[in-house]
Amino acid sequence: MSRLFFREALARAMAEEMARDPRVILMGQDIAEHGGSYAETRGLFERFGPSRVRNTPVAEAVTVGLAAGAAAAGLRPLAFITYLDFLMLGLDPLVNYAAKLRFKSAGQLTAPMVVKATAGAKGQGPTHAQSIEPWLMNVPGLTVLAPSTAGDAYGLLKSALRASGPVVYIDHKRLFPLGGTVPDDEQTIPIGSAALRRDGRHLTIVAHSYMSVVALEAAALLAASGIEAEVVDLRSLWPIDWQTLADSCRRTGHALFVEEGQEVCGVGAELAFGLRERVDGLRVARLGARRAPVSASPVLEAYTIPDAPRVAEAARRLLG
Amino acid sequence: MLELRVFEQALLRQPKPGFQLLSRGQEATAVGVCTVLAASDPLLCSGRSIGIALARGVPAGGLLAELIGKDGGPNRGRAGRAHVSMPSVGLYGAHGVVAGNLSVAAGVALAQQQLQSGAVTCCLFGDGACGAGALHETLNVAALWRLPLLLACDNNGYAVSTSVRDGLGVERIVDFALPFGIPARTVDATDVDAVVDAVAEAAAAIRAGGGPRFLDLRSVRLGPHSTLTKEERPAEEVESFAQSDPLRVYENRLRQQGLLDDAAWSAMQARVQARIAQAERFAADAPWPDPAEAVLDV
Repeated sequence: MSRLFFREALARAMAEEMARDPRVILMGQDIAEHGGSYAETRGLFERFGPSRVRNTPVAEAVTVGLAAGAAAAGLRPLAFITYLDFLMLGLDPLVNYAAKLRFKSAGQLTAPMVVKATAGAKGQGPTHAQSIEPWLMNVPGLTVLAPSTAGDAYGLLKSALRASGPVVYIDHKRLFPLGGTVPDDEQTIPIGSAALRRDGRHLTIVAHSYMSVVALEAAALLAASGIEAEVVDLRSLWPIDWQTLADSCRRTGHALFVEEGQEVCGVGAELAFGLRERVDGLRVARLGARRAPVSASPVLEAYTIPDAPRVAEAARRLLG
Repeated sequence: MLELRVFEQALLRQPKPGFQLLSRGQEATAVGVCTVLAASDPLLCSGRSIGIALARGVPAGGLLAELIGKDGGPNRGRAGRAHVSMPSVGLYGAHGVVAGNLSVAAGVALAQQQLQSGAVTCCLFGDGACGAGALHETLNVAALWRLPLLLACDNNGYAVSTSVRDGLGVERIVDFALPFGIPARTVDATDVDAVVDAVAEAAAAIRAGGGPRFLDLRSVRLGPHSTLTKEERPAEEVESFAQSDPLRVYENRLRQQGLLDDAAWSAMQARVQARIAQAERFAADAPWPDPAEAVLDV
C-alpha cells in the first residue's frame, strides 16, 4: 500500500486507464498544462499529449455533449466539470441524451463516458458549493459515484472508466487535501458496493463523500459517551448497495442518514424509505443542509452544513 | 424524394399515426445530403427525421413500425420519430430536444478525428435551433479543434409558428458561422441538385482536413409543424409553396431535360407505391413490444 493524496490517487487512476485503453481521453477546463483545477491531472498532458488531454472552453454544455457524442462513436471520454453546480449547464446532453441512449437505441448505442465533478462547500459561495447528487440519482440510466477516501477514488474512477454507461463521479473540495492508502498493484472497486467504515451496535450512520469523514468524527464523539455507531460509506449512490445497508440496519435497528445537500427529496429520504421497506421496525432520521443557499461567509456556511457535533446530536435524538 | 413523399402518405393512413413531424417539402435536403455522404459518414438530425432516416437507408417497413411504436423497427418502437437511430447505416440518431444533437455531433466528429476514420459527421438541425446557445458553443469548439463536422441547417423557415425573421437576430443564418471563420453557404434546398453540389463541396473540404463547414439549406415546410398542429401561416404563403415543392421542381427539370416522360413517371410512381405498400404490410404485421421491454437496456 502507498499513501497518496486524494488528487494523486485520481491522477494515478487516470494514467493507468489511459495507458490501458487508447480510447480514454480527458476533456475539461484547465486540465492540460495547468494540471487541473485541483491539481488532479498533473503530469497527464505531458505524458499523453494534447489530443488525449484537451482543454475546453468555459462551456459545460458543449463539453458534456462532446463527451456523449464521442462515447457513442467509440471513445471513452472523461469530462471534467470544475464545480458540480456547473453540471446544470451540461444536464441536457447528460440526461436527455447519454442516460437514454442505450434504451432508446434498443442497445445499439451506448455512452461509456464519465463526468467528473466536484461538489461541496468550502467558502466559495452559492454556486460553487452545491451537492445535487439526488437530482442525478433520479435519472434512469445514470450511475452516480461519490467516494470519500483516496483508495476508493482510485478504484472507483478506474471502474467508471471501464463502465458501459454514463457515470457521474463526484468528489469534494475538502477531500483533495486528505491522504489515504492506495494499493500498489492495479485494482478496481466494483460499482454498487458500500463500505463499512466502523463497526458499532447502537445505530448505523450512512453518508457519502466528505460527510463520511464527518460521520466518522461524529462516531468518535459518540463513542466517548458510550454510543457505538456503525458508519457505512455509500461510495455508490446509484446503484445502491441495499444489502450492506440492510445488514447493518438489521444489526443496529437505527439509521441516521447524513448528507451535505438538501434533505428534501434527498439521498437520506430515498434510503430511509428503501430501508424501511427492507428492515422491519427500523427507526430512521436524517440530517442534511438547512434549507438555504450555501453562503460565501464561513460562519454562515458552517451554520447550514452538518458537522460532527450536529451529527452526534441527531444520533442521540434518534436513540432517544 | 418520391418515396419519402409516398411513405409519409402511408404514415398518415395508419389508424393512429401519432405525433409526427413530416418532411414534406424538405425531401431535397434529406436526399441531397444522403446522396453525397456514405453510411460510413455519421449522420445526426433533429426530430424532423422521417425523410432523413429513409434517405439514409432505414428500411421503410421498419421505419413505419418504429414511428407507430411497434416492434420490428430499428429501435423496437422505443425511439419513434424523435429519436430513431440505426448505427449500421450511420444514423446516429434523431434527437427530440431542439439543438440537442449539435454538441453530440461535435463529439461524434471528435471521435472520427481521434480514430482517424476519415469520415465526415453531419448534423442536420432546424432553423429553430439557431437561436440556442448550443449552436454557438458547438461552432466555437468545432472551429477551435477543426472538427470534421458539417453543420447543415435544415431550414424550413419556421420554428412551429415563429418565422426565421421573427426568431433570429441575424440577416442570414450563415452569419452565425462567419465570426468563427467557418466557411458557410446559403443553398436553395428546393433544388436537390443544388443540395448535392453544396454538400459535395463541403464534404470534400472537410475530408481534406479543412475543418468544419456550415450550410443553410433553405426549403419549405409544405404542411403544418406537426400532425397535431394547426396551420397558422397565411393561406397565400402556404399556397405559394407549391412552386417550391422539391419533388415538382425536380420532376419539371427532368421533363425539360428529356429524361422523364409521363410513362416513365407513372411507372416510377407505381414502383414506389408498391414498395411502400409492402412497408405498410410489414408494419401492420409487426408485433407490439412486450410491455416488459419498457425497463430493458436502461
